[in-house]
Amino acid sequence: MTAVATHSGAGAAADPGALAPMPRGRRSTELFMLVFAVGVVLAAYANAGLGLNGKLPAGLIEYGAAFAVLVFAAHLAVRRLAPWADPLMLPLAALLNGLGIVMIYRLQESGRGGNPGTRISTMSTSTTLYQVAYSAVGIAAFIAVLAVIREPRVLQRYTYTLGALGLVLLAFPAVLPSSLSVVNGAKVWIRIGGFSIQPGEFAKLALAVFFAGYLVAKRDVLALAGRRVLGIDLPRARDLGPVLIAWGASLLILIFETDIGTSALFFGLFVAMIYVATQRTSWLLIGIGLFAVGTFAASRLSGHVGARFTAWLHPLTHANVFCTAAQIHCVSSYQLAQGLYGMGFGGILGTGLGHGQPFVTPLAQSDFIITAFGEELGLTGLMAILLIFGLLVQRGLRAAVQVRDPFSKLLAGGLAFVLALQVFVIVGGVTGLIPLTGVTTPFMSQGGSSLIASWAMIGLLMRISDTARRPAPQPIQDEGMTQIVRAG
Amino acid sequence: MNRAMLRLSLACLVMFALLLINVTYVQAFKATSLASGPGNVRIFNEQFQYKRGAIVAGGTAGGITIAESRLTKGNIYQRYYPSGPVYAPVTGYDSIFGATGIEAAEDKELAGTDPRLEVHNLINLITGKPKLGATVYLTIDPKAQQAAYAGLKSLGRPSGLVAIDPKTGAILAMASYPSYNPNQYATLNGHRLDKIDLRNRRNPSQPLLNRAINETFPPGSSFKVVTSSAAFSTGKVASTSSTVSAPQPLKLPNGNLLNNDAGEICGNGHPQIIQAFWLSCNTAFGELGIKVGGAALRQYADKFGMNNSHLTIPLQVSASVFPRVTDPSLTAFSAIGQFDDQVTPLQEAMFAAAIANHGTLMRPYLVSQVQAPDLQTIQNASRSVLSQAVSQQVASNLQKMMIQVVANPAGTAHDIFMPNLEIAGKTGTAQNSSTLDDSVFTCFTPVGVRNRTIAVGVVVQGGGFGAAAAAPIAQQVIKAYLRVP
Repeated sequence: MTAVATHSGAGAAADPGALAPMPRGRRSTELFMLVFAVGVVLAAYANAGLGLNGKLPAGLIEYGAAFAVLVFAAHLAVRRLAPWADPLMLPLAALLNGLGIVMIYRLQESGRGGNPGTRISTMSTSTTLYQVAYSAVGIAAFIAVLAVIREPRVLQRYTYTLGALGLVLLAFPAVLPSSLSVVNGAKVWIRIGGFSIQPGEFAKLALAVFFAGYLVAKRDVLALAGRRVLGIDLPRARDLGPVLIAWGASLLILIFETDIGTSALFFGLFVAMIYVATQRTSWLLIGIGLFAVGTFAASRLSGHVGARFTAWLHPLTHANVFCTAAQIHCVSSYQLAQGLYGMGFGGILGTGLGHGQPFVTPLAQSDFIITAFGEELGLTGLMAILLIFGLLVQRGLRAAVQVRDPFSKLLAGGLAFVLALQVFVIVGGVTGLIPLTGVTTPFMSQGGSSLIASWAMIGLLMRISDTARRPAPQPIQDEGMTQIVRAG
Repeated sequence: MNRAMLRLSLACLVMFALLLINVTYVQAFKATSLASGPGNVRIFNEQFQYKRGAIVAGGTAGGITIAESRLTKGNIYQRYYPSGPVYAPVTGYDSIFGATGIEAAEDKELAGTDPRLEVHNLINLITGKPKLGATVYLTIDPKAQQAAYAGLKSLGRPSGLVAIDPKTGAILAMASYPSYNPNQYATLNGHRLDKIDLRNRRNPSQPLLNRAINETFPPGSSFKVVTSSAAFSTGKVASTSSTVSAPQPLKLPNGNLLNNDAGEICGNGHPQIIQAFWLSCNTAFGELGIKVGGAALRQYADKFGMNNSHLTIPLQVSASVFPRVTDPSLTAFSAIGQFDDQVTPLQEAMFAAAIANHGTLMRPYLVSQVQAPDLQTIQNASRSVLSQAVSQQVASNLQKMMIQVVANPAGTAHDIFMPNLEIAGKTGTAQNSSTLDDSVFTCFTPVGVRNRTIAVGVVVQGGGFGAAAAAPIAQQVIKAYLRVP
């Protein structure tokens, strides 16, 4: 490896006389940042134990070693399978995943109402262990994605297969009986035996691939045909079909699965990707308009959605209201208010891990994990976590900008955007910026589906980044003036 | 597509910027208002996660702890009151639903949230030590307090007692009977607490009522201390040997008759005021009251601390009342502590304390010192004059007369006479709506022991004649405080 890093190919084109310098894979940077990430996670874990019980937590060595082994296994896999991939994505994802485990451990330890021994109803005594196991599966999925998909373009072949799979996964909970699909009021699960899977998390990946493949194929017709009205290029009526189908599908999710968050994610993903593919503002406006109409109608028609709006507008007014399932128009913002109270309690510097009372907020280990961090790590810590998410998104977008193949570009852009959108929807929801909707916090929330899907997504992004940064094949021998110049 | 991708990046940037701005708003700017939001239990829960300061009776050296926090299972601190009902009117309680007494009045210090403790807390935060509350030291003398509660309890009647150091205003004892056990309120079980609290509130004997400072009784003849003071001060009576008219009965301007207690003749009908005082003649002081006038009586009652609804020690003290009277007939009744006169036991103690301190009434107070967890004193008692009730000369007249109440064989409180310790006092027997009169006594030690003096006020509801029920308890408290056998 040489010391000079350049964009692959660019150097060769600019200076045909010299050999293109070999860009760095930057795996050492990744390793160093990983050691840093593992260090931060272990320090947080020790800190939580000290804060809760005044002594180092049991299993510091074991959990620490397990976590370190997992992330270094991922690192070795990247060295072998995607040596040119972005060096920051893996450490950032590992850090978020590790901090999530620490918070889940901390909540499990303090139990309901702060009484150790009595567990929070939605947590078991082995929740932390499960979360570590899910992380292992997630990292395995990450490695599998890198191993199986050696070139992102191969996915384009399965555009419609994955599209159909995505829709089936998405729609499956809707057609299942409620006993097999409803958890905490959202009909987005498949419950088999003791396990519950949120298929929407995987559908997100499948549909991103489908959208990318479909839009790359159709983008010319979507971009160019149509009339110009009031300075906006309107698409032809028949080209509206796919948008309307996506809109209809997301509305159906909204109505049948009472899940405005997932619905917003899918529709947002689709609109962002169609905009990038066509560069036509009209698609953006049509998409946003349709979503606004759909949400407004839903808030009027569905008591569930309407209640969410009221709770968002007046979180403290309804803080002491408790609703039963039968009360359709009852508005309770107990959870939202407790989350806000927690953040306020933490203030700027936070209470310190183990010193706050995040267990007061219902579902602090999943939907409201961000408020738990806000409480114990303070505004400072919460900002750091948001910036880690922001960096991860930025690395994804960077890969999208760098990669030349349109399909990969669109896919990377879509995945990075949907990550940002998901963080916005859940963090904005629990901090009172937008109405609360139940999507998971990527990498952090308790539960396997989201974690595994998120790791798979990082696998895809790193594969695309690897493709983007991989240097052009070097000539095997000096062929004089002959150069291999890749089409850009 | 890169141009659109750039715009997409911009959208992501905007989303994250919005999130960051919003969390800053919530955590940095809205935190204070959220802290008092409905259903916010965090601030409240937090108080059980660190050690609240102790309350100590009897000063920094050799005091006894009357309230402290103890670690219970689950790393939660629970309040404990070692002496329970004896100190309940002083400590009050600190429960999960609220606090009373010193627990409420000194909450900021005990909880460690007082601004003066912020530096200590910050140091503890940095050094990783747990947050601690400050220790509050009280002026209460444990021996006097114990004697006071035991005395009131032995009578078994609703009663209150306050003892004051006349020179400083330091409250030496504050007892109320029937009392309650504040340990019941230390439970962390909300349902149980609700039940206990409801039972106490519905209890007709009102154990939660602090009769020492929050219940008023008619002062009866003990008010003659004020009437005499007003008479001397306004020059209506020249000296203790001046004679006053004491007809039996006294015919009031409105035609009604005012009688002496048992209808007896007061001396020869023209006694010296000192004799009328030790005999506690109603007619003599009724007529004096008419002479002095309602306005002047009220003026002197105010100087002794009555009609003051803003007095805090730091517990809120109910105002003792001397009404605005213009009708001479009613003034006569007011002058002997009847009609609408109402006093707290604390006010009774203040009558004696003002006389004992040569006419200067010190502001009564309970807290002698507040000590930060590192033993640094953050607050000392601030002694201050509440008012100059009477001149030194008038005070010495009153002292002379009050000594005779006990020392003279015919005095109403001669039963508590002790050759080795001089007590000056005034009894009161106040008629109330029930069959048994309230027994009232206000007294002080003019000389005291080793430069220590004490003033005591006692009211025993339905205790009968003033000297019978109230005076012996006052005597016990005095003996306990001065360590006189």
